[in-house]
Amino acid sequence: MNEWTSYQLQDFIPFTAEVYFRLLERMGETFWPLHLLTLALGAATLALALKHRTRLACLLPAPLWAFVAVAFFIQRYAALNWAGGYAGDTFIAQAVLLVVIALTGWGMDKTPSRTSPPVVMGIAIALFGLILMPLMAPLSGGSWYQTEVFGIHADPTAVTTLGLALIMLRGFALWIAAIIPALWLVVSGLTLQALDSTGSVVLFAVLAITLVGLVWKSIKPKR
Amino acid sequence: MNYRIKHRITRRQSLKLIGATLAAVTLPTASLLADKGEMRQKAFAGTDKKLPVIGMGTWRTFNVGNDPQLLDARTEVVKAFFDHGGGLIDSSPMYGSAPDVMGYALQQLGTPESLFAAEKVWSPAGGSTREQVAELKERWKVEHFDLVQVHNLADWREHLAALQEMKAEGNIRHVGITTSHGRRHSEIEQIMTSEDIDFVQLTYNITHREAENRLLPLAEERGIGVIANRPYDGGSLIKNLKRRDAPLPEWANEECGCTTWADFLLKFIVSHPAITCAIPATTQVEHMRENMRAGHSPMPSPDARQRMTDYIGSL
Repeated sequence: MNEWTSYQLQDFIPFTAEVYFRLLERMGETFWPLHLLTLALGAATLALALKHRTRLACLLPAPLWAFVAVAFFIQRYAALNWAGGYAGDTFIAQAVLLVVIALTGWGMDKTPSRTSPPVVMGIAIALFGLILMPLMAPLSGGSWYQTEVFGIHADPTAVTTLGLALIMLRGFALWIAAIIPALWLVVSGLTLQALDSTGSVVLFAVLAITLVGLVWKSIKPKR
Repeated sequence: MNYRIKHRITRRQSLKLIGATLAAVTLPTASLLADKGEMRQKAFAGTDKKLPVIGMGTWRTFNVGNDPQLLDARTEVVKAFFDHGGGLIDSSPMYGSAPDVMGYALQQLGTPESLFAAEKVWSPAGGSTREQVAELKERWKVEHFDLVQVHNLADWREHLAALQEMKAEGNIRHVGITTSHGRRHSEIEQIMTSEDIDFVQLTYNITHREAENRLLPLAEERGIGVIANRPYDGGSLIKNLKRRDAPLPEWANEECGCTTWADFLLKFIVSHPAITCAIPATTQVEHMRENMRAGHSPMPSPDARQRMTDYIGSL
């Protein structure tokens, strides 16, 4: 038997759907009402990005990435999956990267047109991460504690950041800033798929739109 | 003399007396058996020690982190396991928090005498063999492990040598190796032939019977206990049978008392003479009860086992 063909996606997910969704719920229970602050920070970041205050807009999400790294991955997810500690490290790396970009101004798109397709995609993705993702759990019959919120949970943090990156950044910096959020969405999407959750489709759709936006912004000459 | 004749008991009375005495002696035992079930047991590793044929796996199902609600739910599953005569529980440092969850459950329930604690050493977890075993004992909150296995043959030479030393020192009772999904059977065969191991853990179920060719006969010949993992093929066997709405054949009930698919699939596995026990994993108390009932007599004959494989193949 070929060893590698014998593996299935489920073989790499060491927990059940019940446990994973309880973990997301416990994040909500533990940190409420911090959600209100993180959402306000997310909305402020989007507003700053659209007003071309890109340095500050890059800086604001950084502490939230560090918070998700510690509170979600290192303190909780790592208890379920030995790879969780490494995921936490990469989220901290993303926080550092955002700070570096904010301080240096590297790759900033200082006058993004709100009508250019990649920026429109970025705005749509950021709004989806900030507003629609938290509503998905209650709208599908779950409790409010199961809502996934930007700055508290990993998925909406990654989704919103991808949208913000499409608005604020360009060139090599845009691709670099998108790597970790996009990789997490791949991991999370595959996890949800292994757990038979339809949420995986949403994450893969966001990834596909982001990729189109990244390519579009990279090949389209700047005005 | 008259007195004696007067008090001589009749044949009918003596039969009643014998009957009453037998009932008095056997009834408590019968009721105990009814409560605890009559789990089949098999001798293992060339010893006269026996293990219940249904054990318990913990992959995915017992990795619940430190969630108090889920910790209590899994404790109930462990309680049902022991209430129904369970023995072997298998875990691994690869299974996330599962060893800690076992520690929590044993702390709540006490450590039953029937517990046969089986763990593994797994290189990516870090630390030496001895360090891993010591840490796992603390996580399980047990004095010793009955069995420590080398997980998926990772660095098996180093780990097995260290485990043999620990066994000789009396720190652990038995040693073994594991594989799953039918991987690396030729290497497993080589180790079973050349090394002094007590147990081998491998995948064996009604749709994955590769082990029947060489490994199971070899285990019988060498007196090596066999733990069958993935008895439901990671849950897909039961899921597929339910999705197809496949009927449980009546003959399966008549021939070996199968009333559920759990009975059918588990009895098939543990009725193989080389298999010591199967280790289904579950998060549900009711499913645990179903699993444990499968360990009761009657078991399928070789003819019935053939009929079982033919039936599953025909679906």
